[in-house]
Amino acid sequence: MIAPDWFREDRLPHIYCTGCGNGTVLNCTLAAVEEMGWERSETAFISGIGCSSRAPGYILADSLHTTHGRALAFATGVKMAKPDLNVVVFTGDGDLAAIGGNHFIHACRRNVDMTVVCMNNQIYGMTGGQGSPTTPLGAISTTTPYGASEPAFDLAELAVAAGANYVARWTSYHVKELTRAVTTGMQTPGLAFIEVRTQCPTNYGRHNKLRSVPAMIEHLRSHAMLVEKRDRLAREGRPIPEGTFTVGELVRRNRPAMGVKQ
Amino acid sequence: MKLVIDESRCKGCNLCVLVCPYGIFREGTELNSRGVVSPVLDRPERCTNCRLQALYGRMLCGVCHMICPDQAIAWVEERPFEPHRVEVEF
Amino acid sequence: MQGNAACAEGALAAGCRFFGGYPITPSTEIAETMARRLPKMGGVFISMEDELASIAAVIGAAWTGARAMTATSGPGFSLMMENIGYAAMTETPCVIVNVQRGGPSTGQPTRAAQGDMLQCRFGSHGDYSIIALTPNSVQEMFDLTVKAFDLADRFRVPTFLMADEIVGHMRERVTIPDAVDVTSRRPLAEGCLPFEAGNDGVPGFAPFGLGRSVHVTGLTHDERGYPDTTDPGAHDRLVRRLVAKVESARRDIADYEVTNPDAETVFVTYGPPSRTVEQVMRDRPDDSIGHLRLRVVWPFPEFALQEFGNAKVFLMPELNMGQMVREVQRHVDQPVIPLEKIGGELHTPAELVRALEAHR
Repeated sequence: MIAPDWFREDRLPHIYCTGCGNGTVLNCTLAAVEEMGWERSETAFISGIGCSSRAPGYILADSLHTTHGRALAFATGVKMAKPDLNVVVFTGDGDLAAIGGNHFIHACRRNVDMTVVCMNNQIYGMTGGQGSPTTPLGAISTTTPYGASEPAFDLAELAVAAGANYVARWTSYHVKELTRAVTTGMQTPGLAFIEVRTQCPTNYGRHNKLRSVPAMIEHLRSHAMLVEKRDRLAREGRPIPEGTFTVGELVRRNRPAMGVKQ
Repeated sequence: MKLVIDESRCKGCNLCVLVCPYGIFREGTELNSRGVVSPVLDRPERCTNCRLQALYGRMLCGVCHMICPDQAIAWVEERPFEPHRVEVEF
Repeated sequence: MQGNAACAEGALAAGCRFFGGYPITPSTEIAETMARRLPKMGGVFISMEDELASIAAVIGAAWTGARAMTATSGPGFSLMMENIGYAAMTETPCVIVNVQRGGPSTGQPTRAAQGDMLQCRFGSHGDYSIIALTPNSVQEMFDLTVKAFDLADRFRVPTFLMADEIVGHMRERVTIPDAVDVTSRRPLAEGCLPFEAGNDGVPGFAPFGLGRSVHVTGLTHDERGYPDTTDPGAHDRLVRRLVAKVESARRDIADYEVTNPDAETVFVTYGPPSRTVEQVMRDRPDDSIGHLRLRVVWPFPEFALQEFGNAKVFLMPELNMGQMVREVQRHVDQPVIPLEKIGGELHTPAELVRALEAHR
């Protein structure tokens, strides 16, 4: 059992669907918390609304399950009022980039010392599979039945541009690397943004010809390309395959941060 | 140590089957009492953690444990004299 | 001192150590005063990106145990509504100051109104109850802000200071005491569940960082704080308690001033129109006019109206098109005449005298 001290055993098994990537991300985040050696009395988990944001309900610690898109604003209040608390934010692609877009860029700009784990399953899962701002062009969802016509956000690049101190992207297949990235993020002062591409077999997979869970994970694994490799291909002038996304640590820097524990 | 799949939590997604580097799992064939087809341990003797956690004092590999979305995989001590398959290395 | 500045001083005296806000006329001076004074008192001032983030940050800060507040006006107030509902549902104590201005929409930013009175009670979706106070002087901007924090902490409810541009921007003499009495939140006793109510219907409060592992959610929850959205009984228990904890303590929370209770013609006021009524009464040597001035308008103290046993008619001057007058109308049998005035200017004594003569 991962991080047994941190799970609310009386609430398991959780409500996530079969093979949901969120369960994996929860494991990795709690493993990172355990590795950091944080105490229960000095840690708070904050989330918005959506499948991703149900995660704190399964964690045995102080947690704030807030309104849609506003998790980062609540987290800013918590952290600034009590900088000694370790703050971890769980959010999703819709929660962060759609309704919460404004709070996202400002939290990155302010560089408040917290760790934000975004479970990007490229769909609005909880409400039944509507298109989100990260749904890829051409993908099918219940509100894009003819294929998504809007280009998608690159959340990690947004965070880099807005000023977060640590930005990384992994998938729910790369469990070891993800745990290490979350740990590094927790150690870095300032806002650490870890985007996790996760699988939503029930709502995204079913509509987009990735019906089985292993098929979706295979899809994530095969379309992930290390940042270093992408940079090398670009330098050599070689073409970057269609549909790939970069994984790895995109940025680690030392911009001034707010609310850092003294 | 031995690996156990908690059938009260497993939802039969078979991610453990996909990711195990040693191929110790195999997709199951029987429905259990919850209506789920849980994976079965095909070659448990090849699991490094089962064999070596006691020696090294920490978790080795553990990818199935981390990727399982339902926290259904755990390692437990075997009962004394419990029969299990071994891999003999020369 | 300016009314807005007095409000900020009242908050600081009451122990407020967190302010998250966004500037909006006519409440900006509160934010500016807090920005200057809070850091010197070891507090945190943060300029959030919009009003939704402001109230969100205030609620987050309240959960770390701090007394937290924000200040806004009409357009920002509308933006805050979802999170106000969240504060009501999660029983987060916080203070929201609304320095009302002409509405609807952008309206008259630099003119007074009392157009958000029903909104502060019913603005968010669903059933809940809140407490709202209405100051009519700079001294009350100080005193009622202190009281707002105490009420918020005692009932674990978002509490509103419904001021307006007149009271916010006027300058009067204020007496600031050296210290004010503060009643803090009742702590969560050992072995009690986080949302298990005490005898007064209010649960004990366990701030983050004490290891109590409280799960706070806006979903319907049971006494453990865990979501339980499908059980009708759980929702019924929770929402009824949220409403009852404030409504059942109406008499305790009430704060009003009664003048000439035997009068036959009674003015019911809150906020600045009360000062016009006081002027009208000063101009007349007799006791023929009664005056009920409410300092707490929500929960509405209908029993205050009963103190006027001889009343034949109630007159209610408001700077809106008749909002609180509806509450008065539904609680008395006598005729209740709304004296509506919109456009940003306060009722003049002459206007009120004309109304008085018309309805004697």
